[in-house]
Amino acid sequence: MGALEEVKAELARVLPPDAVVTDPAELATYSCDGLAGYRTTPGLVVLPTSTEGVASAVRACSARGVPFVARGSGTGLSGGALPHAEGVLIVLSRMRRILEVDPVNQRMVVEPGVTNLAMSKAVAAHHLYYAPDPSSQVVCSVGGNVAENSGGAHCLKYGFTTHHVLGLEVVLPDGSVVELGGRTLDPPGYDLRGVFVGSEGTLGIATRVTVRLLRLPEAVATLVADFPDPSTAGEAVSGIIASGIVPAAVEMLDNLAIQACEAATGAGYSLDAGAALVVELDGPREECLGRFGEVEAICRGAGATRVRVAGSEDERALIWKGRKAAFAAMGRLSPGYFVQDGVIPRTALGPVLARIAHLASEAGLRVANVFHAGDGNLHPLVLYDPDRPGEPERAEELATRIVELCVDAGGSITGEHGVGVDKACSMPKMFSEDDLAVMARVRAAFDPAGICNPGKVFPTPRLCGEVIGPYRPHPLELAGVAERW
Amino acid sequence: MVRGGGAVQVVRPADLAQAHEAMASSTAAGQLVSIRAGGTKQDWGPPLAPAPDLVVDTTGLDALVAHNAGDLTAVVGAGMALSRLQERLAGAGQWLALDPPSQPRGATVGGLLATGEAGPRRHRYGSLRDLVIGVTMVLPDGTVARSGGQVIKNVAGYDLAKLLCGSQGTLALVTEVSLRLHPLDAHSATVRIPATPTEATPLVVGLLAAPVVASALDWAGGALWVRIEGSAGGVRSQVEEVRSLAAEGSAPSAVLEGEEEARAWEELARIEAGEEGDTLAVATSLPSQLAEVAEASDRAAGEVGVAADLVSRAGLGLHTARLRAEDLGAHAGFISAWRRAVQRLGGTVVVRRHPPGLEEVADLLGPPPSAVEVMGRVKDQMDPGHRLGRGRFSPWWL
Repeated sequence: MGALEEVKAELARVLPPDAVVTDPAELATYSCDGLAGYRTTPGLVVLPTSTEGVASAVRACSARGVPFVARGSGTGLSGGALPHAEGVLIVLSRMRRILEVDPVNQRMVVEPGVTNLAMSKAVAAHHLYYAPDPSSQVVCSVGGNVAENSGGAHCLKYGFTTHHVLGLEVVLPDGSVVELGGRTLDPPGYDLRGVFVGSEGTLGIATRVTVRLLRLPEAVATLVADFPDPSTAGEAVSGIIASGIVPAAVEMLDNLAIQACEAATGAGYSLDAGAALVVELDGPREECLGRFGEVEAICRGAGATRVRVAGSEDERALIWKGRKAAFAAMGRLSPGYFVQDGVIPRTALGPVLARIAHLASEAGLRVANVFHAGDGNLHPLVLYDPDRPGEPERAEELATRIVELCVDAGGSITGEHGVGVDKACSMPKMFSEDDLAVMARVRAAFDPAGICNPGKVFPTPRLCGEVIGPYRPHPLELAGVAERW
Repeated sequence: MVRGGGAVQVVRPADLAQAHEAMASSTAAGQLVSIRAGGTKQDWGPPLAPAPDLVVDTTGLDALVAHNAGDLTAVVGAGMALSRLQERLAGAGQWLALDPPSQPRGATVGGLLATGEAGPRRHRYGSLRDLVIGVTMVLPDGTVARSGGQVIKNVAGYDLAKLLCGSQGTLALVTEVSLRLHPLDAHSATVRIPATPTEATPLVVGLLAAPVVASALDWAGGALWVRIEGSAGGVRSQVEEVRSLAAEGSAPSAVLEGEEEARAWEELARIEAGEEGDTLAVATSLPSQLAEVAEASDRAAGEVGVAADLVSRAGLGLHTARLRAEDLGAHAGFISAWRRAVQRLGGTVVVRRHPPGLEEVADLLGPPPSAVEVMGRVKDQMDPGHRLGRGRFSPWWL
């Protein structure tokens, strides 16, 4: 019997019958996550309902060196939950109990399959919420948020998942169960919770998550300002930052993105604007509304052609609906498109957008830009026609060149979608061999056998061929003391 | 760059290359290495044991490498003193949102990262862990590696900066740190509400539930201290809200501003920082357990006959007890009694600053967490010879 067959036999014994999927047609439904371009049918799927169930599955794999992959809601955009053909896919979607709400201490303990939005809904009556709000929050699970260190539109002010997770119960790749962090701050020892969050499922499986909750702000104020072009809108953002305001959110859409959002939602964005800026402030009423007046003035002073202030909660919700529809709405402009995710220093926006426009015209393609303008997270959408020979390849190449451009500008290959399989081969563009080797050492401390979500995050020769990316100077080379070693 | 003589060699690298050189040569020589910057927290936690052969002094790595005001980020040498950094950033109306008690004594960014020390305004901004966006490090074997980057939002690769925060200099030498900055607020006021811990606890809970955004929420010296920062109007209205919440059943509150406010916080920081010979122990709890933790501290202090001053980061559930009068036996008795009580509440007690010898009679770290084995394996991977900061996590590992 092969190793995977042995795992199947063991798990069929220890897990309930409906928790083990072996039917080929059903297995095939788990072949990809939100990044549908990569597909692999898993060898086996299990759907445990408890920590013990997850630990049993991991122990069975560990004993035989069989790889396993954890999956939450399957909304990831970098293939982080892409299954292994000879491995086990451990699906956490049946672990969706809210275990404890402590409104007094503003904490909550949940299982990993609970959706992001369900957490906020469960505590809204206490005037509390869970701050990270990725666009997929209606369906994405908190376990997936932990793996990806998810952010959202409001993370400039409120931070990412790593700032809101206090403790984790984790099944390690050998099947043992440990607590990382805890319910109180600063537990003694190394901050393993800090390195686990954002490790994309390569260090273990979180089976219980303790988060901190925030008090809902007393006031929220939102405006949309139209500008002739993205550079001018960028100057308005600079003005806001320079005046010492940290907005809850600042989002920018270029004209192409506005066209798509309007076609999909009719949210009231101006179709003739070169760029639209959504600015939201929140906080104590006086503080929020006083500074909101300043923001309005800064936008007008920077050359806004129209400023629309949301007059009601409904209007605010509509503005956000338009913005959050951006990715999906692009289908109205183009039959095919790639969603890219890169980060630049916010102040480099003008030159980077000019460079993207240049690359796009060279490739004969259109690029729409949606930008978390406060924190520099750029989402260029590369539009193409799948029926035109060679165009999908050109579009993919352009998307890759754009993300390289972000690194050249001092940024990152990913701000929130993660590395997964999608960008593992781009990691050497951002990190040296030694950087990656040190990360791999940390991984080995958790997963010495390399069975926990293998083939993700780290570039491998099999995945990336011999190409290790363009030359990047190592810090020691920059310091002038060493040549490439 | 090599000074000293005698048994302990001291190296003060001026750049990354020299730091790499120092660590690489320590490998060849099999030396035990420790890291020192401002030297304000060398007496924290279990001591280095045996004494190191090589001390790497990072105060030469003190450049402000970059301040990108428009991006609210900065890159600094790990040996840069926090107070000097704040002076440089203030010119652009910005700061690193960190106000640790050891700042006036010369604490550096790298030392603060290694120890995880933070101050009252952690309540609003988090600790350095929450503000660091990238690091450059040199491993004990000389390997130079970076993690993170220079942008606030970035999920590429493992976040090793978090792992180094609070690692007490036992995993790698940090040479450079990228930081997220915040704007300085134009106005500040502090409401002082006289209250015992028992009276203060419902107030803390009430303030957490109120739509007030406090910068600091501390209990110390028989009062709750609530700091509000922001615009003039925002501060005024929130101060009123805090005072009206406090009016129900406690002594009249006072509002401190300007010099008076600054002096009050400096005084609290002095208690929390302690002096040579003091023992500082930190308990963790839920915010609603302030009264129980304080009561347990009083009881433990009474049992052994020492005075314990408590400074509580009440909104966060972090409590520093300061014991005066160097009396190792009494300090050890306090620690074990307080720890027993705090553990029953679900928290932990760890000793920070302490007089030499306390480690012989007291358990400074308390019981190891369930993940202690993985922590040990992380240590093995980063520093296979356990040469860096040996002793700092004794008895959990070498």
